[in-house]
Amino acid sequence: MLNLLFQSNTITIFEFSPVQILQFKRNLTFKRQNMVEDFDISPHNPPLKAIAGLIHDVKRGKLEGSYNITVKTLDILKKIISVCDWKSAEELMKLIRTQGKILASALPQEVVTANITRRIIKLIREEYDLLQAKVHQITDDSQASLHKLVTQTSDNDISRDYSKPQEGLREALLDHLQEIETEMETCSENVSAQAEEHIHTSEVILTLGHSRSVENFLKRAVKKRENLTIIIAECAPACRGHHLAANLATGSAEIVVIPDSTIFAMMSRVNKVIIGTHSVLANGGLRAACGAYTVALAAKHYSVPVIVLAPMYKLSPVHMCNVEQDAFNLVECAEGVIPYNSLAAKFAKVYSPIFDYVPPELVTLFISNMGGHAPSYVYRLLSELYHPEDYEL
Amino acid sequence: MPDASVKKDFSVQQYFAQQMEEDKSMSSGIAAIKTLLMVLERTKFDTVHILHSTIQEAVKEMRNTDLSQAAIVSGTELFMRFITLAKFDDKPMEECKQIMLHRGKIFLEKLLQSRSTIAHQALQFVTDGCRILTHSRSRVVLQALIDAHTKSNKQFQVFVTHGGPDNAGDQMVAELEKVGIDAILILDSAVGYVMESVDLVMVGAEGVVESGGIINRIGSFTMALCAREMKKPFYVLAESFKFTRLYPLNQRDLPVEYKYIKRQRDNFKAHPMVDYTPPAYITLLFTDLGILTPSAVSDELIKLYL
Repeated sequence: MLNLLFQSNTITIFEFSPVQILQFKRNLTFKRQNMVEDFDISPHNPPLKAIAGLIHDVKRGKLEGSYNITVKTLDILKKIISVCDWKSAEELMKLIRTQGKILASALPQEVVTANITRRIIKLIREEYDLLQAKVHQITDDSQASLHKLVTQTSDNDISRDYSKPQEGLREALLDHLQEIETEMETCSENVSAQAEEHIHTSEVILTLGHSRSVENFLKRAVKKRENLTIIIAECAPACRGHHLAANLATGSAEIVVIPDSTIFAMMSRVNKVIIGTHSVLANGGLRAACGAYTVALAAKHYSVPVIVLAPMYKLSPVHMCNVEQDAFNLVECAEGVIPYNSLAAKFAKVYSPIFDYVPPELVTLFISNMGGHAPSYVYRLLSELYHPEDYEL
Repeated sequence: MPDASVKKDFSVQQYFAQQMEEDKSMSSGIAAIKTLLMVLERTKFDTVHILHSTIQEAVKEMRNTDLSQAAIVSGTELFMRFITLAKFDDKPMEECKQIMLHRGKIFLEKLLQSRSTIAHQALQFVTDGCRILTHSRSRVVLQALIDAHTKSNKQFQVFVTHGGPDNAGDQMVAELEKVGIDAILILDSAVGYVMESVDLVMVGAEGVVESGGIINRIGSFTMALCAREMKKPFYVLAESFKFTRLYPLNQRDLPVEYKYIKRQRDNFKAHPMVDYTPPAYITLLFTDLGILTPSAVSDELIKLYL
C-alpha cells in the first residue's frame, strides 16, 4: 500500500519556495480528504513532496552516505516545523512521526532517518515540557525505572497532554534545531580530534573499505604521528578501500592495500583495528560493511583492540532479533563478483550481501563525537538520545 | 509488642499461602507484596518504627516457607523501599497509612501489568519457524510464548526440559499444547543434545542480581554454558521486582535459604534448587523496564537504592 502511494506521487526534486509550500500544503489536505473517501479506513498520510524527493534521491544513488542523508532529513524536518501548519505539539509530533515512518519504511536500510526523526520528536517533547514547566510544576523523567515504579503516585502517572497549544514552541524548537545542526556539522571534526589519543607513533593500523569518518580520523593521525603503517582491506567487490588508499597516500604514512582474503594473515602484526559502521544497534552490536565480522573475529583471535567510529546519529534503538530478519541485509548487484558475460555466471548463483552483523563482544570501543564509550554503555546513550516511547516510530 | 497490634484473625502465612493457591499464575514475589499490603491495611501503627518491625515480622514468616525465596526477598525488599520512600514527616500517621495504601495499589497494579509488557517485548524475537529451548516452567516465558502464538499467530517449536526434581516441565508442556503450540519435553540431561538444533534459549528467573546475572532453577547455568558454547542467544525474561541487591561471584556465594529447602539446610549432601548464571552468559534481559543488557541492571538498582 505504501509502495503504491509512492508511485502515485509525482516525484520532484525538493526546492522550497513559499508559494510551493503553500501549494503542497493545500495538496496535502486535499489528498488526505481524497484518501479518506477512497479507503474509508484511516489511511497513511501521504508523504510530503520533500520526503518523496529525498526517498527518490537516495534510491537513485544521488544522495549517498549516512551523514548526507541525516543532514538532508534534518533539513526537511526543520522546514516541516517552520512552515507547516500545526497547532499543538501533539499535532506536530504526529506529522513528523508519519513522515518519519514513511521514510523508514521506504528506506529500511537507512536507519539514520528514523534516528533523527526520533531525536526531533524527543526535542519537541522536551521543549514543550520546558515551556509547560514555566506555567505548572511537573516532574520530569518519563523513563521507566525501578525507582519510578516505587515512588509513583497516581497524579504524576497520567501521560502528558501534548494537545494544548503552546505559545513560543515553534521559535524554541527552531532555536534548538540549530544546536543539532551545529552538532552535525562539527561531529566529524570532533571524532577525528580524538585520533591522537588512540593512535601512537609507529603503530600498525588496519581498516576495511572506505568510511569517511575513518578517512578523516586517519588523516589526522598521519599528520600528528610518524611512521604509521595503515593496512587497508580493499573490501571487494566494490573495492572502495582503493579510494581510501588514494586519499591517504599524500601523507607520510606507509599505505598497504590487501585483498580481503588476507585479513587473518595480516592481523598478527596489527596494533589496532579502526573501522566505521553503518549503524550501531541497541545492544552495542554493529551493522557494518560486509567483511567487518571477519576483521573483528580475526582481531579477537590475536587480541587486537577493535575501535569503531560511530557518530551519535548512527546510534539506533533497534535490536537485531534474527540475522534473517527483514531489512537487516541487502544483496548488491553481483556483476562485480562475476561479470554477467563470463562462463561461470551461466552456471553459478552469485550473491553479494552488503552488511555484516558484528556482536558487541567483539567491539572494544566506540568513538563518537561525545567521546569514547564501551559497547555496554550504548543503552545509556540511547536513553539520553531518544524518548523510550519513540523507539518504535 | 509489634505483633500484638496485628488483629488476631489474620495469619500472614495463611494469607500468603491462600494468595498463592488462589492464583496459580502469580509469582511468589507478587503474593508477598500483596500480603504485605494486607498487613499494612490490617495493622494499627502509631510510629514508623512499629510499622517497620511489623512488616519485618511478616517477611520473616513468609520466608519460612518452601517457595521460591529469591522472588520473596526481592519483592519484599522493594516493598520496604516503597514504604521508606513514601514516608511523610509532616502528616498524621492515619493519613500516611491511607496514602501508602493508595500508592501501594498503584504499585501492585503496575507490577501485575509487567508480565504482559515483557511478553510484548519478547514478541519480535520469536520468529516464524524458529525453535526455542526453555528450562522447566516459567510463568513469564509461558505467557510470552502463548502471546506470540495466539496474538501474533506465530508458528514455532518449543523444547522444554523436564526440570527436576519437581518436574514442572510436564505442566509447561501441557499448558503450551493446550493453546496449540508445538512443545517437546526433553530430559534435563539432553540440553547439550538439542542445543545445536535450537535458534534461541528463553528462560525465566527467580531473581536478577546486581551484576546482571540471574538466580534460577537448577540447570539454567548448564543451559547458559551450552548456549554460549554453541553461540545461541540466551534470553532472560524477568519482571523488575525480581531485581535484588546481591552480588554473588560463584555458586557458593548464593545464600543457603535460596539453595535448599527448609528441612535440608543442614544436610551438606542436599541438592541445590537454584543456580547462579553470571551475566557474561546472558545476551539480553526482557523486563518491564525495557530490553536491558546485563550491565543495565545495576544502573536500575543504583537508581533505586542510592
